[in-house]
Amino acid sequence: MNLFIKLVSGSIRSQMQYKINFLVSSLSYALIMAVDFILLAAILHRFDNVKGWNLYEVGLLYGISSVAITLYRVFGVEIHNFEKYMIEGEFDSLLIRPVSPLSLLLTKNLDLSRIGGTVQGVLILAISIIGLSLKDFDMFLLLVYLPISIFSGLIICFSLGLLTATIAFWTQRIKDFQVFTLYAPFNAANYPMNIYPGWLKLIFFTVIPVGFMNYTPILFLLNKGGTVWNLALPPAVALVFLFLTLRFWQFGIRHYHSTGS
Amino acid sequence: MIVADQLNKHFKIYETKRGFVGSMTSLFSTKHHLVKAVNDISFEVKEGEFVGYIGPNGAGKSTTIKMLSGILHPTSGKIEVSGLSPQKRRKEVAKKIGIVFGQRTQLWWDLPLRDSFDILKEMYKVPDAKYNQFLKLYDDMLQIGKFMNTPVRKLSLGQRMRGDLAAAMIHDPDVLFLDEPTIGLDVNAKTSIRAFLKELNSNEKKTILLTTHDMDDIEQLCSRVIVINHGQLVLDGTLDDLKQTIGLPSVMEVQYRSKPENIEPLHGIEKMSWENGKLILLYDRTILSSPALLQSVTKWGEPIDIQMKEPEIEEVIRKIY
Amino acid sequence: MVYWILLQKSFMRNLQYKVAHLINNAASAIFGFVFIAIWTGVLQGKESESPYGVLDMTYYIAAVQCILWVSGFLTAGLNIQNGVRNGAISLELVRPTNFFLYVTSQEAGRLVYNFFFRSIPIGIVFALTVGFYVPQHVPTYLFLCISIFLAIIISINLHYLVGISACWTTEISWAHFVNFTLLAGLGGQFVPIDFLPAPLSVITHYLPFASAIYYPVMIFLEKSSSSVIFIQLFWTIVLTIMNLWLTERARQKLEIQGG
Repeated sequence: MNLFIKLVSGSIRSQMQYKINFLVSSLSYALIMAVDFILLAAILHRFDNVKGWNLYEVGLLYGISSVAITLYRVFGVEIHNFEKYMIEGEFDSLLIRPVSPLSLLLTKNLDLSRIGGTVQGVLILAISIIGLSLKDFDMFLLLVYLPISIFSGLIICFSLGLLTATIAFWTQRIKDFQVFTLYAPFNAANYPMNIYPGWLKLIFFTVIPVGFMNYTPILFLLNKGGTVWNLALPPAVALVFLFLTLRFWQFGIRHYHSTGS
Repeated sequence: MIVADQLNKHFKIYETKRGFVGSMTSLFSTKHHLVKAVNDISFEVKEGEFVGYIGPNGAGKSTTIKMLSGILHPTSGKIEVSGLSPQKRRKEVAKKIGIVFGQRTQLWWDLPLRDSFDILKEMYKVPDAKYNQFLKLYDDMLQIGKFMNTPVRKLSLGQRMRGDLAAAMIHDPDVLFLDEPTIGLDVNAKTSIRAFLKELNSNEKKTILLTTHDMDDIEQLCSRVIVINHGQLVLDGTLDDLKQTIGLPSVMEVQYRSKPENIEPLHGIEKMSWENGKLILLYDRTILSSPALLQSVTKWGEPIDIQMKEPEIEEVIRKIY
Repeated sequence: MVYWILLQKSFMRNLQYKVAHLINNAASAIFGFVFIAIWTGVLQGKESESPYGVLDMTYYIAAVQCILWVSGFLTAGLNIQNGVRNGAISLELVRPTNFFLYVTSQEAGRLVYNFFFRSIPIGIVFALTVGFYVPQHVPTYLFLCISIFLAIIISINLHYLVGISACWTTEISWAHFVNFTLLAGLGGQFVPIDFLPAPLSVITHYLPFASAIYYPVMIFLEKSSSSVIFIQLFWTIVLTIMNLWLTERARQKLEIQGG
């Protein structure tokens, strides 16, 4: 724990040395997120709803998914940019430490410029919750469950990131895979899953289980369907998925031990 | 301290084909050839020894060091470092060894040196008292105190290497693996690093395995030399053994204004020849010192240019065959 | 012609990374399917309120996903920033070749490659799954060629602008992301710009981002008059002159500071 604090504070101080760069990157990222949401709001403003989901309801989905992915981008920056460890041969220097490579990666760096995105996601969640004007009990349940949903989303996102990073043990480069495993699914998860054709839905509820993090619980919480089990599924799926991904990561490291490339 | 027993490391190199169909099929093809990066190498290093591990580029030096430190697992054979197998107990072994790669720093690039040390202290769980003792001792030995608060990226190459060496010693390891620690450094920096390594070996009784391309490193530091080529061990002995097998002549090239008349042969000159109007002298520095030879050279005639060369490892290895 | 050779070389170099490109193409198609699904969900039962029906939007998204590869996904800063970082730019700027053309022709080679190995395969995927529009009138094909050509020049210029700014700022990755976001967001990558709220919609029609993506697509779908080509032409000229001027300024700056 002490080590974690040291590493995190070191990472923050590293970034503070480039103040202007940090400021510009935070602002740019905020702008990117803003444009993204303005477009969504523009459509829903004009057409009122997507398959029965209004702006505030979609806002809930959007908020959960964007808070989850931006938190991953903050804490998982070294996982996300893992290919540099393969291409530049930096992975060796992780294997000479008495700590597991994964904990080293997680503590090596934080990308604070992405926090703006998290704040924006929280803001959208707040606006959506106010706009929904739910009954007391529903509101209470939603507020209690929201952190669980976000946390499950973060775990799923982290697992997907780690899964993609593991591929780098064989292919070196992973940027192309990330479009597949992270960007496209999380973009899709901003909207209700019922709009997607069956084969896409199948993907989002199995190999890339982004549907579970927001659609499944919100469906029940907004009285749109499902049972109380919809609330148990997200954390359960997230943990199982994380477990499988960690196994795959270990397998990747064993491969690295034997090939070194 | 270090045991390598019939160590092998083979890599499969998959063939890639050209063209669209080729690159698709090579994804699934199993056609490959075997590269024996390390081929049946055995040696044992005792506590307190200073061993030079040398060989030309691609000989398998780095692969060996990676196996000894647990980064790579051997195809077959046994390794023990401080009595533990780095393959099975990587994290425990990591606490007992220090590693320095000359080509790349292990320090946190944007942070002051002290912060890197603080982080490593936590990582290796070094007690405060021991840590303070370390800081004092290594400031004495490496004079790192002056730039403790400078971000690593602003350090000179020599300062950074001193920082890297200290960082590798933070957890007081018994064994040190140094991969080209003097590469790219100027003469002064090399001298101070060699002095430090010598002290580390003789006073602190650290066991050191060093790879290098610099024959001076070997001559000044190593009591024992292991030479490998094409993954195989070709020589394991003292520096004298190495010299006796191949001789380690230094080279002096002299260009004279006019060809001198009488050149007296000196004891210690192994070979004398003329090449492109230059006099090439191969001599043994342990018998004939460079200043002494220089004096004689100027007595023979009026030199316009004098160059001194040290033998390259590549050349040394070639001579063994 | 040296620029023609540079263009060819760049085309050939790109031929070598095929597997990565296959994955990219698949991802691009997936993104397209996601967007189409969203629009289908949005427009279902509300087609009467909208200028475009579900089929129109399907064609729109499919066409956008294809054209993005020639006028959207360009090399960040056209790699000019690398030359600035390692100092090679001072050499390149004093060469007898025109630096602007030197850089842009290499990018053009990449885009020609992208057209054949990304735009067309992705288009075929859409044609086989959700359908692909075929222009009905012969003149459309002529206007389309002009419009795409201008769109490419505008986009290359926008990326050049980001790249050459490295001479003054050194770090351009964020400028690139902002540029790309505006290009995609205000260029109509997901939302046709006439769906945007009133003031924003009017402004975006006259910004260079619409000229790089939206107009060629609308001409292709025969939903826009060919007169929008004049807006594209305007931006082509303005951006080219601006970049030539900035290149000259960069050269002067480097000559004074010696790189």
